[in-house]
Amino acid sequence: MRNSYLTILITALLIVSLGIISIYSSTYQKEGKPWEDIYKRQILWVIIGLICFMFISNLHYRRIWDWTYLLYALGLFFLFLVFTLGLVRMGAQRWLKIAWFNFQPSEFLKLIIVIFLARYFSSKSVSDISILSGKFGITRGIIIPFIFVAIPALMIIEQPDLGSGMIIIMLFLSLLYLTGVRLRYITIFFILALLPLPFLWHLLHDYQKQRLLVFMNPNIDPLGAGYTVIQSKIAIGSGWFFGKGWLSGTQSQLHFLPESHTDFIFATFAEEWGFLGSVVLVSLYFVIVYKGFSIAQKTNDFFGKLLAFGISLMFAIQVFVNIAMNMGLAPVVGVPLPLMSYGGSSVLCTFIALGILVNIDRTRAVF
Amino acid sequence: MNKVRIVLIVVVALFILLGLGLFNLQIIRGGKNRELSNKNCIRLIPQLGSRGIIFDRTGTTIVDSRISYDVMVTTLNSQETDKILSEVARLLGADFKNIKAAYKKNYLSPSLPVVVSRNIDLKKAIALEEERIDLPQITVQPRPVRNYPYNSLGAHFIGYLNEIDRWRLTRLADYGYKTKDIVGFGGVEEKYDYYLRQEEGGLSVEVDHRGRMSRTLGFEPGINGKDIQLTVDLKVQKLVDKALAGRKGCVVIMDPNSGEIIAMSSSPAFNPEAFVEKNNPLVASYFKNSDAPLINRAISGVYPAGSIFKVIVAAAALETKKINLSTTFVCPGKMLVGRGEFKCWSTHGPQNLIQAITHSCNVFFYHTGLLVGPEAIHDCALKFGLGRTTGFELANESSGFIPSPMWRKVNKFKNWFDGDTANLSIGQGDVQVTPLQVVRMISVFANGGYLVTPYITKAVDNKDMSRYRKKSVKLKLNPQTIDAVRKGLRGVVSEAAGTANVLSGVGVEVAGKTGTAQAPPGLAHAWFAGFFPYKEPKYAICVFLERGGPGYYSSVVAKEIIDGMVKEGLI
Repeated sequence: MRNSYLTILITALLIVSLGIISIYSSTYQKEGKPWEDIYKRQILWVIIGLICFMFISNLHYRRIWDWTYLLYALGLFFLFLVFTLGLVRMGAQRWLKIAWFNFQPSEFLKLIIVIFLARYFSSKSVSDISILSGKFGITRGIIIPFIFVAIPALMIIEQPDLGSGMIIIMLFLSLLYLTGVRLRYITIFFILALLPLPFLWHLLHDYQKQRLLVFMNPNIDPLGAGYTVIQSKIAIGSGWFFGKGWLSGTQSQLHFLPESHTDFIFATFAEEWGFLGSVVLVSLYFVIVYKGFSIAQKTNDFFGKLLAFGISLMFAIQVFVNIAMNMGLAPVVGVPLPLMSYGGSSVLCTFIALGILVNIDRTRAVF
Repeated sequence: MNKVRIVLIVVVALFILLGLGLFNLQIIRGGKNRELSNKNCIRLIPQLGSRGIIFDRTGTTIVDSRISYDVMVTTLNSQETDKILSEVARLLGADFKNIKAAYKKNYLSPSLPVVVSRNIDLKKAIALEEERIDLPQITVQPRPVRNYPYNSLGAHFIGYLNEIDRWRLTRLADYGYKTKDIVGFGGVEEKYDYYLRQEEGGLSVEVDHRGRMSRTLGFEPGINGKDIQLTVDLKVQKLVDKALAGRKGCVVIMDPNSGEIIAMSSSPAFNPEAFVEKNNPLVASYFKNSDAPLINRAISGVYPAGSIFKVIVAAAALETKKINLSTTFVCPGKMLVGRGEFKCWSTHGPQNLIQAITHSCNVFFYHTGLLVGPEAIHDCALKFGLGRTTGFELANESSGFIPSPMWRKVNKFKNWFDGDTANLSIGQGDVQVTPLQVVRMISVFANGGYLVTPYITKAVDNKDMSRYRKKSVKLKLNPQTIDAVRKGLRGVVSEAAGTANVLSGVGVEVAGKTGTAQAPPGLAHAWFAGFFPYKEPKYAICVFLERGGPGYYSSVVAKEIIDGMVKEGLI
């Protein structure tokens, strides 16, 4: 019992430490006060995240059941605020400026959607462990939850933050699969969802189209949209087996790699720590994902089970998409690497999610 | 729950995929990626040493190097390039089109700086350096270039520098020469290019994504080329250049005892400075000019020898004992040889050998030549180094030509007639000599019978080169022969009726021979070959004026030079 708590906490702390080391390294050569402080800010966020983790891991997760709709409404409200008051940075309107920090609601929306879906597909009563969705028809099983998911997802995609939007959709699909909504319905839904894709193509921003095309072939625009992928692949690859050593990665230190402390932190890390470090890091991530899955499997309460699945999947999908994107195996979409990338919202949200996960494991015995 | 298992398997598969992807990028393609990463951030900035200095015999610099500034541009994308280039054009006050054209021409690869403008002056270089903070893409690279303080002085034996051509590159690639190397063309610059050339050092620096230098990784200073000391005396060379200015022809002054070239000048000359700057219109004009200013007439030009050749005939006659010093022929102004009438330039009356040399009497030499025969004359000419290269160091030396009956028969299927012998006796017909051969030939009479090998480099890298020289050859000549010819040569100057009497007034005893080589159509070539001081000769001189008229004019030029040398106390 305490075992999984400690495992997850220690693994997360290890990853976060590697993250801070890499953020320090990637901002090491950059001049100016804001750059010097960036790793300190990350440390601060990690401390706040840890406090949240401690707090939430002691808070019975069933409490969240009651807050679900409030959280959902709050999430939508913040997304709306982003639309009207949001900060435009790097061509995207994703951030809200609150006091001295920038807050990115789309990060939290992922967690909120997981909570929402977990609640939607399970019953209130703790004793009733049967699956609700099994009885659902196509309307209640797919269409209604889809509308609830689509509203925030579209708002996020419109920000534009294609990455977070796609992750929400992917979470939705995998949770549908796991809840036992009939496979037939999911297939039909999937086909229906795919049909308008050619039309959606035209709705995408030019840069998003460009990124997708560049994903197919980065060399079509080596100095524009393909630049990041090419440089990131070079960075990772040039690490070789042992890496170039901390603070010695030329790609990140000399700014050939853009976004080296946020979305492309993995490339920074891989360049300096090599294949050895990268494999260790990926394994650490896998430890958390695996722990999450086993917690879910052991939990009988269907809400807790779905929640644990959702959180583990959210974590796994983000890790995979980000690292794949760093290696040029996925299109460049703004997805941070949980616990590694610089960013308060991401760190905080991940720690909260892990707190919930740990709590599910801890309180399971009660039933 | 079966579905969970499936999802778990998918997740595990995805993580394995990540691992495989990492293995592919970092292990399989790791070396390639490391290379690419180095290419990104490591730049090599060539550091040139300066080319060896060329000194004269007294250690005065003739040619050295100075620093010139090149503007180089390093950019990543084309929009930026245009912006930067227009900025460079503005700062240099140059036309944007030219800068852009230069950029296109010199572009090699994206990671290397491109030279857009060469040889800018110091003020502009400083102005560009000041802009460096705002425009880090612009670099000003100092580069040593050849400096010619005396402009065209000695241009022909020094040569010029230019980008290596294909022919030279194929021959020299094994010695480490590369495309776009600057190498010597002609003269000492070409002959000793291997010693003179500097070794390229390099500064390898790490740069960031904007091409700014972040730190130095390694530095290998350029190695300067080796200096060369010539046998040329700058003061004499200046006098010679001055005397030749505006004329077409050449002058060679040599130490008759050692073969050291004291001065060598060919006119019209070129200014090697013109080759420093690319696309200088002067360069094109040098190549187009029909007077061939790039040709070193002293070693590459072949001309009929004219009366100078009489010295050879005289020596041949005395050596073969066909005549002696008391043999006298009467000159009536003309002579019938075979069916043709051969003229003398004057009517000299009775002449012995010494008088005939003094007066340059054709009739005497017609008689003598016919007595000696063409084969003997030919052999004697070859003995004196005519008809073959002298072994001089510099490239493109011509061998000249001395005809013989055998040659005539084999190559032209024609017989040799007495008329041909008569022509040969006065150095006309097919006789072709270079001014350097003439000065070497006349030196034999100055040094008492030695055929020297002319040379122009005294030392390379402070190492005396005389050890490696070909020794002078003692010719098998009767001392009386040399003595008689010397007397005749002295008479040319000292006698009132001598053809170079104009030289009698200079402060030193000169001996020599004039020559007027007919080369119709057009004026004759004017020759003067001699040595001074007469008693203990220190200098042998040959003045040649292409289409300069009678030999007299050459002796006037010689007088000017020798006068100057006396005044400067060089003798």
